[in-house]
Amino acid sequence: MVALVSGANAASACGTCGVGDPTLTIVGLEQPKEHRFRSSATIRHRNDQIGDPRVDQLQLAEQRLELGAAYSPTDRLTISAMMPVVHRFVTAVNLAETDIWAPGDFELRLRGIVYRDRAFAPRHLLSLIGGLEFPTSSIEVDANGVPLPLEFQSGTGSWDPIAGVSYALFSDPWSLYVSSVTTFPTTGTADTKAGISSRQTAIGQYQPWTFLAFQLGAEFRWDGPGFIQGVRDPNTGGHITYGTIGMVAMPHERVLLTFTAAVPLIQRLDGAHRESVGIIGGLIYEI
Amino acid sequence: MRSRLAIVPLLVAVASAAGCTRTTEGIEVDIAYETPATPQAVRSDADTRIWLDRALIAMGPVQLVECDNFARVLGRFFTASRAKAHAPETPTQLGTPFVLDLLESTGFSFVVGTIRPPPGRYCGVRVVGTPADADAVGLKNNSEMLNSSVLLAGEAEDTNTLARTPFRVQIRATVVRELRFEDPLVLDRPTTVNVSVRIDHMRWFDGIDFALFADAEGAAVQQMLRSNIEASMATESL
Repeated sequence: MVALVSGANAASACGTCGVGDPTLTIVGLEQPKEHRFRSSATIRHRNDQIGDPRVDQLQLAEQRLELGAAYSPTDRLTISAMMPVVHRFVTAVNLAETDIWAPGDFELRLRGIVYRDRAFAPRHLLSLIGGLEFPTSSIEVDANGVPLPLEFQSGTGSWDPIAGVSYALFSDPWSLYVSSVTTFPTTGTADTKAGISSRQTAIGQYQPWTFLAFQLGAEFRWDGPGFIQGVRDPNTGGHITYGTIGMVAMPHERVLLTFTAAVPLIQRLDGAHRESVGIIGGLIYEI
Repeated sequence: MRSRLAIVPLLVAVASAAGCTRTTEGIEVDIAYETPATPQAVRSDADTRIWLDRALIAMGPVQLVECDNFARVLGRFFTASRAKAHAPETPTQLGTPFVLDLLESTGFSFVVGTIRPPPGRYCGVRVVGTPADADAVGLKNNSEMLNSSVLLAGEAEDTNTLARTPFRVQIRATVVRELRFEDPLVLDRPTTVNVSVRIDHMRWFDGIDFALFADAEGAAVQQMLRSNIEASMATESL
């Protein structure tokens, strides 16, 4: 979709052909190749419950459309940009409903390969990740003008540096991706400050056919406490572990479709905070 | 390449264009106090005419009580010894205390706030008169109400002899009243309901022996007045 309006005629070859490895990879996991350019549209759905039932619980249903693009100026560096548009439906204990469409935080990332075992079709890739989230999201407030819990915001509304490391193993038809990425939020535009959030991801992929791959993985997320106008948001912080299952399909040499379900396996989130199954669907267009 | 990089500002523009919020109010219960217009003198059932100079009451938490929990909640929460002027705001409770000057009442309702409860069947409200703390709304103009729940001052006139006896009573104890609705409030969808608590201070002096007012701090006077104040409250929902 995004690609169609951004000059798709510049494409010359399919992405997997150009990098010498047939592995189907989503944006951020790919093997960089000079001038490789990919665009993506990802939809994420999740439900959250924060607060005590019949007391102060807020229920959230969120759909997040992430429009992204990744460009590799060299075969060791990838620059990616992502802009979310977020739809949230919040229900309070008294059945009051808030329906919000809002932009999320624009994100810019750099991924630099610091080690690869060979230049063409490498099997081992070790990368460093750095980035920044921009405060493009709007902070929603309640009837008293107090910002809603941080979990219900479309973004942190702050300048948030990102740092991480990732490792990818390509051994057709198998591949493995492991990463650890941490976001360091600063104080936001509405005097909110989200906690440090660190995600550890491990995904194994089996690709029995050139056009279809299956994924199985786990994601561990640790969150530090968040603050709203200097007061600790009691329902922030803690950790959660998801099990993920997904698939990647290539219906066309330039197009990838992805689907992932993330099921919370271990929830140790602080306060009264429960997350439920997340569904992620995506389209990647190799330009 | 430049045409490719144009995607970045495009992403920002597309996302920034999104931005709207629609809010639907849920279940809301507006709470109001209603006091009758105060005449120049109040006549008790013992034919005593009371000329009031001061008539103040400090009201604290107002709680909406579910039918299933009515007996349990009323027995458990807000016992007189535990009630505080400032109670936490919850979906079923208003916590901000305020001072009502009954001599200024003109018979109109005084809306004190809105409770936003979860769906359920609610059988009544519990109102608590508590000693006013420094943050109580309305204390600024009635500073003598600090740490008092009720202040009454005036003169009691014997209608036979026309002799007047001045009195001043300050109650520091908590006044508690549980009020049942005529029909339960069934709140199962977004709606706005008005609940009014009527305080009829014309009845506060019924059965009072003003001879006892010589010892206005005495337990007998205080207890009689508290009983009358509690009995003078009633509620209705619309």
